Amino acid sequence: MRTLIIIMSMISFLFGKVRIVTSTTDIADIAKIIGGDHVTVTSIARGNQDPHYVEILPSYMLKVRKADIYFMVGMELDLWAQQIIDGSRNRKVLIVDCSVGINKMEVPTGQIDASMGDIHRFGNPHYWLDPENGKLIARMVAEKLINHDSKNADQYQANLTQFEKDLDSAISIWTKRFSNLKDKDIIFYHNSWPYFSKRFGLKTVDFLEPKPMITPSPSKLNQVIQKIKSDGIEVIASESYFSDRAPKFIASKTKVKTVKLAQSVGAIESADSYINLFETNLTILAKAYGVSYD
Amino acid sequence: MLKKLVGGILFTTFTFSQTTVNPQFSVIGDLVMDHLHKDPSLLTSGIEIAVQGYVNPFARADIYLHKHNDDSPIELEEAVMTIERGLPFGLGLRAGKFRPDLGKINQSHAHLFPFIEVPAGMAKILGEEFWSATGVETNVFLPLPWYSNFSLGYFDSGISSHDYSDYEKDEDDHDHENDHKDKDDHNHDDEKDHGREKQTNAFSIRWSHFFELNNVNHLELGLSGYSGKAEQILGADFKYKWRPNKYRSLTLQAEVLQHSLEDEYMEKAVHPDEKLTVAYAMVNFQFNKAYNFGVLIDYWSLGLADDEGMNPSIFFGFSPVEESAVLRLKIGQLERENDEKNHKKYLKTTIQIIWSLGPHKPHRY
Ligand SMILES: [Zn+2]
Repeated sequence: MRTLIIIMSMISFLFGKVRIVTSTTDIADIAKIIGGDHVTVTSIARGNQDPHYVEILPSYMLKVRKADIYFMVGMELDLWAQQIIDGSRNRKVLIVDCSVGINKMEVPTGQIDASMGDIHRFGNPHYWLDPENGKLIARMVAEKLINHDSKNADQYQANLTQFEKDLDSAISIWTKRFSNLKDKDIIFYHNSWPYFSKRFGLKTVDFLEPKPMITPSPSKLNQVIQKIKSDGIEVIASESYFSDRAPKFIASKTKVKTVKLAQSVGAIESADSYINLFETNLTILAKAYGVSYD
Repeated sequence: MLKKLVGGILFTTFTFSQTTVNPQFSVIGDLVMDHLHKDPSLLTSGIEIAVQGYVNPFARADIYLHKHNDDSPIELEEAVMTIERGLPFGLGLRAGKFRPDLGKINQSHAHLFPFIEVPAGMAKILGEEFWSATGVETNVFLPLPWYSNFSLGYFDSGISSHDYSDYEKDEDDHDHENDHKDKDDHNHDDEKDHGREKQTNAFSIRWSHFFELNNVNHLELGLSGYSGKAEQILGADFKYKWRPNKYRSLTLQAEVLQHSLEDEYMEKAVHPDEKLTVAYAMVNFQFNKAYNFGVLIDYWSLGLADDEGMNPSIFFGFSPVEESAVLRLKIGQLERENDEKNHKKYLKTTIQIIWSLGPHKPHRY
């Protein structure tokens, strides 16, 4: 009898939760914070995976099959999500594009085609790398959760308020502690960082990719080497999923330091939450430039 | 009847789709050359045009047209509407002309093969361009802890109404200019044989499983069955993939099909209990972003006639700029029938250059 009650309560516990699936770990972490005990959250992409290309595995469809809400990054970053959602057969799932309220950067004007590389035609989709945008994601998540599960609305609202407060104080601390990063020249592997750089004042001078999603060519690498030598650029930062070969090659020819940054929660061990994502990346950069950050 | 019904469904969906977002267009071009041809006529070269789009939030339409590099008309490879969400009981539905869910390889487009051409053994059952038919297919996830999908299809033309003559011609004189002429002729035959083709309604079933062993190891297993006019096919397939990072992967894939023949095979009389067994096994290693290398073993046998063939080949692929252009090379053994039970073996080198515009790509990691 007792076991039955335990089983029953476990079932009601599991079934009472809002089942959330997200495309990436960043939105997943925010959803966990806002949803608390009332949600289960699964991310399709892992933190160290390239979010532009996710191989669609049938097992992902199974994860979405019983989901209540699916949160996408949007702006065509996670086009693969649509195929997973379709394949899930879940006709009740609410699909939410988290990019809706974002102030989008680098929206191309004029004709775009494949000669420009894999350009993001709705603008640069790596918006979660500005912690201010984390607040917008959190508001979107809270709004959808409140609509879906109104009996826990107060809890979601309280979690949102707390998260915004935590993030605000973290942002003001980061901007002070890492003020030495301001106006530092940096070369990135892929253009994932315009929102991040704008927030923390870094100056992006080049990319290793000659065009978005195109592997660095020997001529591009030579060009970067020349630029590093002439302009004294100190750091090349790459997303965790890229191979080290191109940055290491450049480092062997110049005095540049190469670092790997966490483009998403979980990409690097210490970046284990949305707030730690910034803490980790900023610390890595401060160390690479040899500037103080206390 | 079925053709009319399906045609009706497609027509309504396609007219409806004009009111929504534009569909996506892709073009894949390929150029295939092999050294056995003195005159490097461009064999199967041609282009494939794909038009894909959502008809409404729950239904997608995919149309594939193929144009060979000769005077033959444009062929409709597939025109299919797929409903994945929106039907009761989690059912999925495909209707139109498409490649039925029979075995693993029948569903993949040839430009995805790292080994360029259809394995010859598989072609003996599925035909050179694989089995594509008009019909409806429904599928459902089984309530198991892993991904397990069951599908059942009904089609208005079976595999035996497939074009074997093409294949035979290929084996006999390997002259592809004739080959295309032959194809034209066959189109006329099709019309003549329409009555016969209509009789060969066929059913196909498949039960497939997918296991995400961990983040980098995946396993797929499938069982398939086919029943046409007095002929049966049973099949089993296996795929294992190890993918430790973005650009490195190892794929092992194997498949076997067994065809219970009636009393005739490729216009030759055979024992009524004769079974044609075909199989292939492939290992493909993608060792970085641009290069892959692999081995294919291609097999077929006629049990009672005690006739069999096995052809190994090695293949190599290079995709310099992401997935948009791929260069493939294959060196393999080729058998040609000289007379009864006498196979002459050749070495054949094949080169393929394949490019794409748009989202439908020749290559997937
Ligand atoms: Zn990007």
